[in-house]
Amino acid sequence: MATQTFLDANELVLNMGPQHPSTHGVLRVILNLDGEKILGTDCVIGYLHRGVEKIAENRTYPMFTPYVDRMDYVASISNGLGYCLAVEKLMNLPAPPRAEAVRVILTELNRIASHLVWLGTHALDIGAITPLFYTMREREEALKIFENYCGARLTTHAFRIGGLQYETYDGFEEQVKAFCDAMEPRIDEYETLLTGNRIWIDRLKGIGILTAAECKQYGVTGPMLRAAGVKWDLRKAFPYSGYEKYEFDIPTRENADTYDRYIVRMQEMRQSVRIVRQAVANIPDGPIIAKVPKVVKPVPGEVYVSIEAPKGELGYYVVSDGTNQPYRVRVRPPSFINLQSLEKMAKGALIADIVAIIGTIDIVLGEVDR
Amino acid sequence: MRKLLRTIFLVDLAQGLWVTFRSQSTKNIYTEQYPAERPKVAERYRGAPRLNNNPDTGETLCICCDLCGFACPEQLIVVSSVRNPETRRKELTNFTYDVSRCMFCGLCEDACPVDCLELTQDFEIAQYSREGLIWDRQMLEEGPKPTQYSS
Amino acid sequence: MESLPWQDDLTAAVKQQFGDRVLEFLTYRDQKFIVAAPEAAVALIEYLKFEAGFDYLVDVTAVHWPKREGAQFDVIYILYSFERNDRVRVKVKIADGYKPETVTTVHLTANWLEREVFDMFGIQFASHPDLRRILMPEDWSGYPLRKDYSIIQMDQRWVKENLGIESGQ
Repeated sequence: MATQTFLDANELVLNMGPQHPSTHGVLRVILNLDGEKILGTDCVIGYLHRGVEKIAENRTYPMFTPYVDRMDYVASISNGLGYCLAVEKLMNLPAPPRAEAVRVILTELNRIASHLVWLGTHALDIGAITPLFYTMREREEALKIFENYCGARLTTHAFRIGGLQYETYDGFEEQVKAFCDAMEPRIDEYETLLTGNRIWIDRLKGIGILTAAECKQYGVTGPMLRAAGVKWDLRKAFPYSGYEKYEFDIPTRENADTYDRYIVRMQEMRQSVRIVRQAVANIPDGPIIAKVPKVVKPVPGEVYVSIEAPKGELGYYVVSDGTNQPYRVRVRPPSFINLQSLEKMAKGALIADIVAIIGTIDIVLGEVDR
Repeated sequence: MRKLLRTIFLVDLAQGLWVTFRSQSTKNIYTEQYPAERPKVAERYRGAPRLNNNPDTGETLCICCDLCGFACPEQLIVVSSVRNPETRRKELTNFTYDVSRCMFCGLCEDACPVDCLELTQDFEIAQYSREGLIWDRQMLEEGPKPTQYSS
Repeated sequence: MESLPWQDDLTAAVKQQFGDRVLEFLTYRDQKFIVAAPEAAVALIEYLKFEAGFDYLVDVTAVHWPKREGAQFDVIYILYSFERNDRVRVKVKIADGYKPETVTTVHLTANWLEREVFDMFGIQFASHPDLRRILMPEDWSGYPLRKDYSIIQMDQRWVKENLGIESGQ
């Protein structure tokens, strides 16, 4: 028979968010606490729900492309790529090789930018303020490339169905190469600040463990799955947009805790730099957009296309009924599904760890709520 | 032993601080002194919309085809025109552009067949009222005129 | 382009196991899907997970076809197998008001996904552990992603009570 202590009798319910700096947006978590220990969590989401899927049904195919940028707004280019690939697959209209190469460059730069935002804010949550300034500095360089390329920094609307709207600007290759050269020593710099840092290790090691089997149960993808030792990346599993042409490794770790996810993401940034270098070294010549009809009108059918977004598997399930508007667009948001595993990871953790655990999932609430 | 020496001489701390000090150089300043210095935005920046006039004659380039209105995802462009009975051409009477709903995606400017509607590099488009953000033809041709508070 | 039938050792095994309860094996643009009878869905997904290695439920979603007689909704389960590196979709056609069994017993990830389908389409999953609205407010009435729900439609009562305004438009 378990003895009833004073604390058992007093289960405390604590409301975290929706306005809390470390929930990265408007996430509300209801915590059931036994002292400092978390007994259960309940996520309340939907504060940023804008009905993107409903909007899609009332817009034509090209009109919907700017809206997808507003889901995961720190990696808007990846969102756009996923949607464009899905419609291209539906119409059987592959993008020309030059467009594919430019798409790969921009998407990988966006992956770096997204991971930098994650690193800065995650470190800030843990209590290390300095990395935020450095990561924002490098992100600025990536955003300048986006601004020069397509005229917007965050919600870029860089890709169109069938290829690209904009030709690369003069000095694009040089700027991208300069960014790659600057980036690699900078990643080393972040690692000197964090990787061996005693406080960082103490706060992250052994926190938020989600084993490979649990990851599969919860449908968790992206760096979280790779930190659990599963060597799986959609860029290798179902190569899209010419990723089969580039050499890169899939970084994995074994311990499946928050620290390993940090290491995996740092190595992913290095791999991204490697891909960008290969891609920018030979951008093929040729047209930048396929012969897209004036009115995009796919034949009735349905496809599911997914890409490896910075946060995990980002899928688009597009159903066409033969008109110029999509009949249904379903977005499979990685953040939404990864967030579901918070319940499992937070159980039994301490209240200070929940900040680290939310940070390690790398959620963007625009994508969770859509 | 090595670990002990590292601890005594604060090697990790020095490494961390070295990163900090290395970034102290004045050429690494990224802050923009915005009102004093206007930042330079990219050439392709998508900012305030503008209707271009023919530089030689001063007449509008718009042919009232309404393709921008069809392309706009937010349906915020209204083109009104009358057909001139003599020349059989459409003449632009008014052009409303609701900047408050615009997300600067650039689809209208891609759709324009005569390079008339354009998203320019102007970014100072704040107004005191919502109504002020619904721009008419005159406003679109002249561009926004933000109040200058400093010389 | 029409959907084409598809055959391999997996279809043979599934056909042998389920017989008439699996209706069709189709591909469209090289993407495979299985159309199953509503009552066989959970058993099929369980079979695919434990016998065929489809151990990752990618997504659960629905499509509303209001004009289709008898079976207004498609419920779609997207499955992935790490061993085969292959994706397959299970499609179930159900009538409005039919309560399909939940697949949370097989894949935990279905919990929130089914909640979202319920929230958006009003499909109630039988014996789901926690079937509440997830994205919309809990006391909202109406199911936004149904085709008869207009894009500017809203729950006037909810807006009036909670926001204190006549309309959100």
